[in-house]
Amino acid sequence: MDASLVFAQFLSGLSRGMMLFLIASGLSLIFGVMNILNFAHATLWLVGAYVCYTFWFLMQDYAFGLWLSIPLAALVLAAIGWVIEVVLIRRVYNRELPEQLLLTYAMVLILGDLIKIIWGVEDKLIERPPLVEGPVFIFGMPFDSYFIFVILIGLSVAVGLWWFLKKTRYGHIVRAAVFSREMVSALGIPIPRIYTGVFALGIFIAGLAGAVQAPVGSITLGMDMAVIIQAFCVVVIGGFGSLLGTFVAALIVGEVYAFSILFWPQGALVLIFIVTAFILIIRPWGLFGTPTRA
Amino acid sequence: MLRYWWLGLIFIALLFLPLVIGEFWVHVAIEILILGLFAVSFNMIFGYMGQLSFGHAAYFGVGAYATGLLLVKTSVPLPVALAVSMVTAGLFALVIGYFCVRMTGIYFAILTMAFGQMLYYIIFQWYSFTGGDDGLQGIVPPAWLMSAWAYYYFTLFIVVAAMIVMWFISESPFGYTMRSIRENADRTRFIGINVRKYMLINFVVAGMFAGLAGGLLGPFNRSIAPDLCNWHQSGVPVFMTVIGGPLGFFGPMIGSVIYTFLFAFVTGFTEYWPLTIGLVIVFVVLFMPGGVLGLAQSKFKTLGARDSMAETQGSMDTET
Repeated sequence: MDASLVFAQFLSGLSRGMMLFLIASGLSLIFGVMNILNFAHATLWLVGAYVCYTFWFLMQDYAFGLWLSIPLAALVLAAIGWVIEVVLIRRVYNRELPEQLLLTYAMVLILGDLIKIIWGVEDKLIERPPLVEGPVFIFGMPFDSYFIFVILIGLSVAVGLWWFLKKTRYGHIVRAAVFSREMVSALGIPIPRIYTGVFALGIFIAGLAGAVQAPVGSITLGMDMAVIIQAFCVVVIGGFGSLLGTFVAALIVGEVYAFSILFWPQGALVLIFIVTAFILIIRPWGLFGTPTRA
Repeated sequence: MLRYWWLGLIFIALLFLPLVIGEFWVHVAIEILILGLFAVSFNMIFGYMGQLSFGHAAYFGVGAYATGLLLVKTSVPLPVALAVSMVTAGLFALVIGYFCVRMTGIYFAILTMAFGQMLYYIIFQWYSFTGGDDGLQGIVPPAWLMSAWAYYYFTLFIVVAAMIVMWFISESPFGYTMRSIRENADRTRFIGINVRKYMLINFVVAGMFAGLAGGLLGPFNRSIAPDLCNWHQSGVPVFMTVIGGPLGFFGPMIGSVIYTFLFAFVTGFTEYWPLTIGLVIVFVVLFMPGGVLGLAQSKFKTLGARDSMAETQGSMDTET
């Protein structure tokens, strides 16, 4: 095996990792702040892909169609997230874990069928604009040029989230709410509004990820089922609520997948669960989490 | 025992049930019994131990595959195959549970789910042994169980026997130790109980009964598919238990009746079953905490489940 093949595989793992990061970061943010594990996260990601397809379909005569569809889809998903939070999630803040899980799981079922009703059962395919259509050659190995875009988006969201959480006033409030929601609310900050904002932001990122995913291959019903489990694995490996942890874990999972495809194709997914179980057993709170949450 | 007279009545009604309903509903009744056993076994972990397993379908699936493979590839009698299903599922639960009982709350849920998915992918990919995503076809029950009615009585017998065993387990000192671990694991440890060991034993027993339920499914459907182990299937006993009510022993079985009836009814005229059950779950979670049994208990105090609502409302907390 030569170095260029390894490098190409590394890049493909990187783009896969970035995609997982985009999905898992919202999941981790929502869990970290609101203590709610959102089963429907990947389903909303899939909705984002379909919404992006619809925008692209309406604007397919224009070269900028796709580039405009991606942010629009993300905004639509943010709005959906806002509605879901206000209508459903807000009612179960003080409920037990199983009920919260079941509620978001019910959303998986409902949204899955709504997708079927709205977009039908056929796979959807987005034609990429010329800029990202062909492969680029890196050290002589062909590499899908669109994946470069995926990697760039992943990095920008990582930096953007970091900046938001560390440098802005709202970011500080969100981080404070992770530690003590009573204290934050005692300072006169309306917790429900913060929660709604965080949930909408998380779903915004999921929608963005879905829209970015849309042109990668065809958009298929049920794509979300495998992804949500991998996103859980990422969040668990990285530690709930830790942005850095989610980032590192997403890269680990992406690379483990990319390289095990080379050596042991059938075992690629199994290996991810073995890694997750192993890390949970030795560090239940994840690589970058804090033990108090365990 | 006199306070359980109504159970005897239900049992007698179940004996005569197939005489008054058509073949389709006999099939539905068999499914209710099998899925109900699965859900009751799940509730040994959820209701009694206070941990949410989101990978319980793994043991159901292992049991289904053990019986399925034995019936397809060998000529062992069905009861032996079912016993093997229980043991195999128990062994899997022992290995997986060894790691899972170190966790609680959300971590327990995710770890059981990760292991469950691992098993699912192994079964899904291992064509030469499990048939991969084609599943296993031609799982034929023995000649004396070919008719739906015969299989109904066979399933009824096994499920009732299993429920009686689980009932005695839940009412034994072991069962009360489980409740005590659910209420407060630390205090249970202080009185000298090896909490992890007890949790592991409970996990294995629950896995064994899930395996038994799975074993019954293959000869009933004549085929099995790897989807039986998928996390979606793990959601089924969770619904049933929450719909029926996790705090009574029979809650999951009531949930199975509601869920399976609804499934048979709804899929008759729409393909949008997930949408329907999704809306039902949202309704139950938002407006009916405690499930049907919880509702019934708060309305009619006579229904005799030992754990009262007030006592357990606040204590279902998985965090200690």
